[in-house]
Amino acid sequence: MALLSIRNVFKSYFLHGKRIDVLRAVSLDLEKGELVSLVGASGAGKSTFLHVLGTLDAPAAGEVFFEDRSVFSMNDAEIAEFRNRTIGFVFQSHYLLPEFTALENVAMPALIQRRERAGAYAYARELLERVGLGQRVDHRPGELSGGEAQRVALARALVLKPAILLADEPTGNLDPATGEGIHQLLRDVNRELGITAVVVTHNETLARSMPRRLRLAGGQVTEA
Amino acid sequence: MGLLGFILLGVAISGAGAWAEVSTALGLSLVGWGGLLQVIDGATLLPVQAAAGEAPPVLHLGFLLSGVLVWLGGWALIAHGIRRAPESTVGASPAAGATLYPRLARYRDFYWSTLGAYGGGILLAELVLVLLQTVLSSGVPSTELGAARDAGGGLTLPPTGAFAISLVAAAMVAFVSGFIGASRAQRLALPEATIGVFYLGLPVPILLTLMERIPSLQLQLGYRLREVTYVAGLLGRPELAYWLTFTGLVLALVLGINTGFIAAGSGRVDLKLGFELFVARRHVAVFRPSLLLGTLAVLMFGIIPPLLVYFIIRAAEAAVERTRIRSLGLSDPLASSEALHRLKLREQSPTMMMTALSVGGVGVGVMALIIVLSVMSGFEADLQKKILGTNAHAVVSRYAGDLPEYAKVMETIRKVPGIAGQTPFIINQVMIASEGNVDGVIIKGIDPATVGEVTDLPQNILGGGSLDILYTPEKILSRAMPEEDDAPAKGGAEDSGDDIIRRAGKPTKPAVLPGIVIGRELAASLRVVVGDRVNVVSPLGTELGPTGPIPKSRAFRVAAVFYSGMYEYDSKFVYILLKEAQDFFNIQGATGIELKVFDIDDARRIAGQVVKALGGYPYRARDWGEMNKNLFSALRLEKLVMGIILSIIIVVAAGLIVATVIMLVLEKRKEISVLKALGVSDGGIVKIFLAEGLQIGVAGGLLGLFSGLAWCVFIEKVGIKLDPEVYYIPALPVRIEPLQTVLAVVIAVLVTYLASIYPALKASSVEPVEGLKAE
Ligand SMILES: Nc1ncnc2c1ncn2[C@@H]1O[C@H](COP(=O)(O)OP(=O)(O)O)[C@@H](O)[C@H]1O
Ligand SMILES: [Mg+2]
Repeated sequence: MALLSIRNVFKSYFLHGKRIDVLRAVSLDLEKGELVSLVGASGAGKSTFLHVLGTLDAPAAGEVFFEDRSVFSMNDAEIAEFRNRTIGFVFQSHYLLPEFTALENVAMPALIQRRERAGAYAYARELLERVGLGQRVDHRPGELSGGEAQRVALARALVLKPAILLADEPTGNLDPATGEGIHQLLRDVNRELGITAVVVTHNETLARSMPRRLRLAGGQVTEA
Repeated sequence: MGLLGFILLGVAISGAGAWAEVSTALGLSLVGWGGLLQVIDGATLLPVQAAAGEAPPVLHLGFLLSGVLVWLGGWALIAHGIRRAPESTVGASPAAGATLYPRLARYRDFYWSTLGAYGGGILLAELVLVLLQTVLSSGVPSTELGAARDAGGGLTLPPTGAFAISLVAAAMVAFVSGFIGASRAQRLALPEATIGVFYLGLPVPILLTLMERIPSLQLQLGYRLREVTYVAGLLGRPELAYWLTFTGLVLALVLGINTGFIAAGSGRVDLKLGFELFVARRHVAVFRPSLLLGTLAVLMFGIIPPLLVYFIIRAAEAAVERTRIRSLGLSDPLASSEALHRLKLREQSPTMMMTALSVGGVGVGVMALIIVLSVMSGFEADLQKKILGTNAHAVVSRYAGDLPEYAKVMETIRKVPGIAGQTPFIINQVMIASEGNVDGVIIKGIDPATVGEVTDLPQNILGGGSLDILYTPEKILSRAMPEEDDAPAKGGAEDSGDDIIRRAGKPTKPAVLPGIVIGRELAASLRVVVGDRVNVVSPLGTELGPTGPIPKSRAFRVAAVFYSGMYEYDSKFVYILLKEAQDFFNIQGATGIELKVFDIDDARRIAGQVVKALGGYPYRARDWGEMNKNLFSALRLEKLVMGIILSIIIVVAAGLIVATVIMLVLEKRKEISVLKALGVSDGGIVKIFLAEGLQIGVAGGLLGLFSGLAWCVFIEKVGIKLDPEVYYIPALPVRIEPLQTVLAVVIAVLVTYLASIYPALKASSVEPVEGLKAE
């Protein structure tokens, strides 16, 4: 039984009355603990694919199963909870909430789950130390550098120990050295916590270093 | 086919000669009302026609049929419009045959159960209101003709109290039905709500309105619904009361629907708010001392003075700060840059400004409502005090004729609980004449021993006088005027006719005349003082004079002057001894008995009890509310209209809140997407933005409450002088009524809640991917 199965997923956009088929009958299985890279030309539909995987976007047709449960058959509250517990996101930009401190941002998924405050903050602090930001807990996102913010975002994605981590060009905005730090963190997380991770990247060497490599082209996902 | 139907219909209508009626109903028919209207019309016409005995049944059968037909036709049209789906033009897409997105596949366009919950809920709420109110207060013996007999069963709450309890219960019913309906359907279900309210909610208020209009319906329903009509009648315009109450219930339903959708629209009931409030407080920081104090200052002192003070403080502060930073920088440039950075952080965003404006708007509305309503209550209380001071709380009399057995009646009344005092009286209209002037007044025969139990007359006597002087008319000090006559002291009977003749006699001790008590204004217009003589002329009873029948006339001496503070009374009422009045008007006993009760709000019930104790007909009792019904209902209506007008300020403020929250939603699109990606449900987003709107509302409401109360206290303590010539009251009266004050705040909060719903729903419909597109 695969952790996450994508079955026959279609997704199209409509621009100026024309249909753009971004995903065409994509089917794929992801096993528990896999570390997967996804490459493809810009505009191939990598982000779209990741959004569908993460239930952020609804497919036009097809289904996504998590542990044999049809994800899109759940109601809104269940999907939200699924997203909250099972999936961690890291995007190209950090997308931290500007009104909250780094600590609060990291603890946010736990707070959404209505976990008790003190415990959530304690664990968030631990995670921030782990990503090397023990000195920045009370900074607002505006007061962090790009690399720091991205590490906070990674800590946020991991705070509830999700089963799946989806990273959409997490180092796209960073200089190579900082990016390499993030990549190392991703690998560690995958190894230590057994989190299934899908990393979209343009970095060919990084992609090749991953155990499983996928390529998105022409609306189809193939093993590369 | 349809054409044929219409032609047939036309023929039928022409045949029945009912074009005019039909055309008026046609507009309503299209939304489906015609049929029911016709049924109601027919039903109300039926008994009338049966009574008239010349019933042409064809007519209203035609009515009914045409109504139902047009009604069905209207709906068929609507249904046709909805069902006409565009046909697919292009060929199959590559995805043809794949499984449809499951949630779309499960979509249902209409929920009959939700319609049932909404419609049934509003109908149930109305029935609860009407029935509960009737049950709660139907035990009150009515003072109407013959009603004392079947008073029994049911509880005996005062009508307004019963109405309040029933209204709360009914609103709860409406709220709960809305909640259940929306949480079952997991959406707002507007079509269901509209249809439910239209078809099941409207008939009751329409029926009640028709009842006020159509006599036959009133005959059938009026008595059974008397408690409902009584409370509605307190406003003077019962229909307005019905529709207002109906609106209130619909509002409760809408609130229930919204709350149900917000709490359970995501698929499960989730009433926890901690996280949402945490986020909302960061988005709009309303509860900050500077903002609250600033707005309060604006509400209390107007805009200009606080603004001036603010600018002066800000300018001084900025100057001091810059000087400090410069001196800091002179020694350590880095420290000064940090200080500059801090200074920047304090700058405010435009949303902040909007928030402050919205808070101020709501505050102004609530403040105005509280002040104006309190002043109006003050006037009302003043009026009520004066009326009840001069008037009795209830009057017992016979339907016709006098009350010779008043002593016995008073014995019986004494045993009724809740009676604080009683006094017999005789009332009549007379002319009063002095040397200088003539006036038409109301004369009252009173019993000085007991009148103080009922009215404030003894306390209102000017110059420390007492009513007891009426018993001893010889002690009335007269202004020893030379031409004063010297009629013998035989009680003044039959001595006034030959007044002029005696005037020629030589002046001696003034005659002993019976005393009369008159009001200050009357004394001024008659130009008399205590001790002066006045003649009272009754146009009713006539005496036989030398030249034929002449009006009965009698001389009195002004024994005392009273001042009640009510122009009406001070200029129109005079008092004499009951015995004198009995003689003068040839009345056995008294006209009636005035009662005072301990709890004036309970006067109606106690009046009923009194009639019951007296055995009903021919006795009757009227309470003060009934006797001054027009006056008080006019006051209440005025207050209601004022409240509605002032609520418009709150509605405008609500518009500001809508704008503010929409601005917030636009500003926070990205954050909404992120929150959703982190696992906040749609319901959670709605809650966050509702909480933001509500924060503004609550802050504004509380500020309005504080400033309103502060202004009221100011008006009360310091006082705003009024021109006594115009108002007959020295200063602007205020009376802070807790219920109406709380209601003003609650209304403001409810309005802001309603106003935030739309932007909050908009916020929740932001797709997660929308905000996550890399810029
Ligand atoms: N909201 C949208 N409306 C219309 N077209 C879109 C939208 N989002 C993405 N697209 C199109 O879909 C394609 C795939 O986009 P995306 O998944 O972001 O590509 P990638 O991440 O691989 O660069 C692109 O051609 C893009 O223009
Ligand atoms: Mg992309």
